[in-house]
Amino acid sequence: MPGLTSESDDLAMVPVSLETENQPVVNYPLRHGLKSPVHRLSFSWACGNTLRVSVFRKPQSEKADGDGEAGGRVVEVKLSNSGDEEVDAARWRRMAYSSVTPFALLQSRKHSLSAASRMSLDIPPYKAEWWEHVIEYSKEISSLLSDRKPPPKSIIEDAKSVVNEIAAPMCLKAAWELLEIFYIDKQSQSWIPERLLDWLADYNSLFSGTLPTIHSKLVDFQQELVGVQVVEDNPNYWDAMSSALAVGWLETVVKLLRLHGSYRFDQLSSRETENGLVEAVAVLISKMPRMRPSLREDNLGECYKTKPDFMKAWEKWRTQISKLDCSSYWLQCDHRQTREGLKNLIQIMLGNPTVLSNATFNWMELFISHFLYVRPFTAGLESMHNSAQKCMQVKPASIPHKLFGLVLGILGENTEVVLAECSRSFGPWMMVHAVELLTAGSTHAEILLHEEHSKLGGVSIEELHRLVYAQVLSSHALTWQIAPIYLTSCIKQGIRLLENLLYKQPVQHSQILLKSIEICRLYELDSINSNIMRIAGVHHWKHGRKGSGVFWLQQARDEFRLNRIAKQLFDFVGKSVSDEGFKQWEGLIELLGSESRTAGGLEFLNKYRDFRRSLLQVHGDTPTDAARNAAEALVSLMKNPSTPQRFWLPLLYDSLKLLMWQERPLVNVSQTQLLLNKLQELSMARLRPDFVEADLPSDALSSVRLALATNLGRAILEE
Amino acid sequence: MAVLTSSSQNLQVHRFPQDYYIDSLRWLPQLSAFHRHIILAAFDSESSTSSLQILNSSNSSSNPPELTFQSSLTTPSRITSLTTSHNPNKPLIAASTFSGSLLLYTADLVNGSLEFVDSVAEKGFHLGRINGIDVSENGSEFVSVGEDGRINWVSFVGGGLSTRKVFDSNGLVSYGAVKWASPVEFVSGGLGFGLQWWDQRRPGGPVSQFKANWTRGTTSGIVHSIDIHPSRKHTCLAGGSSGTVFAWDLRWQQQPIMLSGVGTSDLSALSPSESDVWEVQYDNYTTSSNYRNMSESRVLPAMICSEDGILAVIEQGEEPVELLAEPCAINSFDIDRQNPSEIVCSLEWESIAILTRS
Repeated sequence: MPGLTSESDDLAMVPVSLETENQPVVNYPLRHGLKSPVHRLSFSWACGNTLRVSVFRKPQSEKADGDGEAGGRVVEVKLSNSGDEEVDAARWRRMAYSSVTPFALLQSRKHSLSAASRMSLDIPPYKAEWWEHVIEYSKEISSLLSDRKPPPKSIIEDAKSVVNEIAAPMCLKAAWELLEIFYIDKQSQSWIPERLLDWLADYNSLFSGTLPTIHSKLVDFQQELVGVQVVEDNPNYWDAMSSALAVGWLETVVKLLRLHGSYRFDQLSSRETENGLVEAVAVLISKMPRMRPSLREDNLGECYKTKPDFMKAWEKWRTQISKLDCSSYWLQCDHRQTREGLKNLIQIMLGNPTVLSNATFNWMELFISHFLYVRPFTAGLESMHNSAQKCMQVKPASIPHKLFGLVLGILGENTEVVLAECSRSFGPWMMVHAVELLTAGSTHAEILLHEEHSKLGGVSIEELHRLVYAQVLSSHALTWQIAPIYLTSCIKQGIRLLENLLYKQPVQHSQILLKSIEICRLYELDSINSNIMRIAGVHHWKHGRKGSGVFWLQQARDEFRLNRIAKQLFDFVGKSVSDEGFKQWEGLIELLGSESRTAGGLEFLNKYRDFRRSLLQVHGDTPTDAARNAAEALVSLMKNPSTPQRFWLPLLYDSLKLLMWQERPLVNVSQTQLLLNKLQELSMARLRPDFVEADLPSDALSSVRLALATNLGRAILEE
Repeated sequence: MAVLTSSSQNLQVHRFPQDYYIDSLRWLPQLSAFHRHIILAAFDSESSTSSLQILNSSNSSSNPPELTFQSSLTTPSRITSLTTSHNPNKPLIAASTFSGSLLLYTADLVNGSLEFVDSVAEKGFHLGRINGIDVSENGSEFVSVGEDGRINWVSFVGGGLSTRKVFDSNGLVSYGAVKWASPVEFVSGGLGFGLQWWDQRRPGGPVSQFKANWTRGTTSGIVHSIDIHPSRKHTCLAGGSSGTVFAWDLRWQQQPIMLSGVGTSDLSALSPSESDVWEVQYDNYTTSSNYRNMSESRVLPAMICSEDGILAVIEQGEEPVELLAEPCAINSFDIDRQNPSEIVCSLEWESIAILTRS
């Protein structure tokens, strides 16, 4: 057994993983508390990620039995997911909860649309409508991935704050946005490079953990900035600006440029030319043409919606830069750092590959800088992919980031790679929800995901991922109840697994039982519903809660079991015919109701209760009519085939006062004969070995027989 | 956060996600207009521990309310039912558990802290889950009912709890809910939509019993919650399975007044919910003139929360007013006694919602 250290009390479990370099070994200590050496271990899965370990000690010889120690102990070990957890358990559940509604809504819209369009979503009006639904879905999922509100903006802007720290972004959201950009947001197809630029600006900090990034560089420089008096003398100042400019963070660059010492009032006169150059570069930067419909808040540049306009503006802008580059003012600029720094910025804007490569730290940043300054008219995934490949050769990543893998898969138009990256890096939640984006955005992906695979048991990859996710949900006590939503969207295997899931829920927990029944009601799983109620009924019955047992068996309409438990119930009733304990039965009898259809063999109890009530009211001085009613009840009880034989004698014995009524006989001839026949039958039955003797005085039978015989005589006389 | 208008009343809803499942919650008596406390029974699934927590809800008209954690105490077992006395200085909090014990705490509203007072957990008390408890108007008498079919009367005297068994059905009946009607009378409810009226002056069994007869032919249900209005002690309001809400008037014993439910054909169109109604409470949020005009025979308006995520106000013969329609169950809610425009409810998906009607 791997990892078993058998120093009795300190057992520990060590999961052995094949990729030990990536995943550190986790120890799970087992506190079983057994003093003697452990003889045997057995493992089984408990609920969710909990492993149940049964620890047995060595079977002791008889004389050692007296040490009072148990023969073993069962301990549960919760296996937590180790590794880099971006999302903690509570946050994860919140994500799972809030993605239910968008997912369910999208599925129902898909159903109604494909019903309306006869299975084809490609017909134009439906396609447009479907598209809107998918966009709405994508936006909703994306918004739930950042549930923290952004911190309030301070009113007084800090002049020296160059990095905007938004609340820690999540890789999941970054990945989701990537998929949204490339698969869903068709309107932005023409300006994908700019979308990627925005994306990198939002999520650059995510890479800082594993790679050198411009973001981390700017954060470092910001700290340095506080103590620096003359920024333009500091080489980091110029480096930070060239890096920020390379990836298009124009507002940061302009802001930093304005910190330049030549802007100071006391120096403006002496550094006029220098200041003119700084300002000229700043203006050029802020006038950079951008191929996008609009800018985000605080961003700089000039937007162009159509390609010809953009190209024209771009050429003009480039000419201005070249003109500035060749200007004679540079010779008059005395400050070496400023001159070199500004020239460097100009080289970046002119797309000098070496300068760009020096200003960026990983291939993704270089890739973006190429879009901006080297090939501004790049369009189409293929050319983007080629460009990305080249950038990777220049700046190979030693530790590939999971988002880079996804970007490459998307650019390479390789659905399999995208799926594999999503599944490997972002888990089942991402898979099941992202599949909707992929199938909507790419025909190839749709075919791939919807194709049924015989080696997967006839299910499609889409369904497979839903099943996997449902399995993850099912393993947690708080999320299992949302698994049905995903399971019912699986055509092939969903219902079977839902049945399994429902049967696995513990029925002894009334809240879970009611939840299971509610799920059965919602999905019209009638047979499972009655099975669950039956299981619950038997469970309660076994544990002495007879009322609940009867109730659930009634709900399940299980006459067979109701009849079975009726026999057991009568054993109890039989013992308490005349004592006060019968009061306890009132509630149960109320519950049973009077209809034999729902009560099964228990219907007898109801009649019996009525008879007892009328009998209790009969005293010596009761009017004969009341007594007659009691007698009628007796006869009808005795006639009823559901009255158990063992009750015959006690019933008759209890009603002796009716049979020997002073005034006149209450039971007529034929009725008396019926009762006598029953008595005869009873005498015969007594000879059988399985007969149970009622707990009555030994002369009970003979006194009943005598009373009946007397009554018969009187009745004959009366008639 | 959403502001929605329904039937001429403004409603503000604020949702607060938590990191644990909320079994039950209640308002505590209000100390000042801007600060009030919520007591809740939380269950942490990661550590499998349950606790009672006090949250502070600050409310000013300009800002959205904020919930801040104040204090918590771990409880030995998961809480099934929570009830508070309305003593404004040191409110008592009684909680019943899955393991059949009753726990009593006091809350210090100034510091927002909880203090353990006493508990009853001996074997003879309850076997297994206690389904319902209620505290009497004076705050010193408790009654508890369980699935084991036992009913216990617990008195808080001299700083400790003493118990007395009222009834033991030996499991022949299971009870789901209980509510005081007067200092000596209470009503219990449970399987088969049954209600039982108990009077301590006539011990030995229920004084009066009610069994639903409208479910003829269809399946029956369970009473999950009961409420009795202090001004109309002869009427008992009950909510349970299949969206059923009915009132049982002791003066017309055999005929329940149906308010909602899918089991009855003439009402199903008006029923706000189709699944289990987890809690019912009379809703005092009506203008006082309306209130007085209400005829004696009419059932007062009541609020319900349900498994299918509905929080609604229902009134005899009127369209229900839906306050919330959530994608998940609403487990529990409470209307602030002093300020009935404020409602707090717990959602199955580990969050709390605070509603303000204006």
